[in-house]
Amino acid sequence: MLDNYLPIFTLILIAVCFAIGSTVFSGLIGQKKPSEVKLAPYECGMPLVGTARERFSVKFYIIAMLFIVFDIEVVFMYPWAVMFKRLGMFGFVEMGVFILILLVGYIYVWKKGALEWE
Amino acid sequence: MASILFYILAFVLLAATLLCVTCRNPVHAVIYLVKGFFALALMFYLLGAPLIAAWEVIVYVGAIMVLFLFIIMVLELAPREQPQGPGWKRWVPGLMLAAAVIFCSLLIIFQDPSAASGNPAHFVGPRAFGEALFGRFGLAVEVVSFQLLFAAVGAYYLGRYQPREQDKEETS
Repeated sequence: MLDNYLPIFTLILIAVCFAIGSTVFSGLIGQKKPSEVKLAPYECGMPLVGTARERFSVKFYIIAMLFIVFDIEVVFMYPWAVMFKRLGMFGFVEMGVFILILLVGYIYVWKKGALEWE
Repeated sequence: MASILFYILAFVLLAATLLCVTCRNPVHAVIYLVKGFFALALMFYLLGAPLIAAWEVIVYVGAIMVLFLFIIMVLELAPREQPQGPGWKRWVPGLMLAAAVIFCSLLIIFQDPSAASGNPAHFVGPRAFGEALFGRFGLAVEVVSFQLLFAAVGAYYLGRYQPREQDKEETS
């Protein structure tokens, strides 16, 4: 049964080896000519804009909460998807109603402009 | 075997949660919280609920953790001053807890304790879970849907932009 999880484990192993390997080898092989620009913290390639310790808008939090709501919606689809054939039409309608109810909330927050970034 | 894993995970969970509530730096506290979530996910797996374990990681580690981080950002709780003392000391408890969680998950991957303990009756895979959830508890799923609808509307309502009273007076 746990053979099912072996690909995930292999992927994790490759990811860890790649992360450690690229750091170690670039440290061993690469040249080191540090300058002030090179040692500055990387911020999307742009020059630094102030400190990171500022107060952020509450809009971030609303977006995060809406994300959780729809994250949980998607999470309910996993057990439905593996039983899709067996549940048949009944499961399909059930899931349809489930998504429809949440769609109302989605349209509501969309129309209210909670997803706009002004 | 399963009980040994349980005690290791229980220790990790308690230690991570204690460090989380006693930690001065809120960002470090969130990291300990995430380690606790991982230990809890493995515990759910030990109880024979792999889907709940996956949900724990997807919802709690992936999403709830973001809420805590955003609270820190919104309230400006992160400490401004640079930390004192040698850096590696701050890493030790976190790394040890992470190592314990990774060790436990490796043990679970390579020798399945739920199979070894001879208790496969308690094991509920995603298929059985889906059958029960959408069959017997179909109505509950729709109720959850309504709850999520309320949550979405409530999140918007509480965080919507409303001008303060004094601002209104100034503009009028």
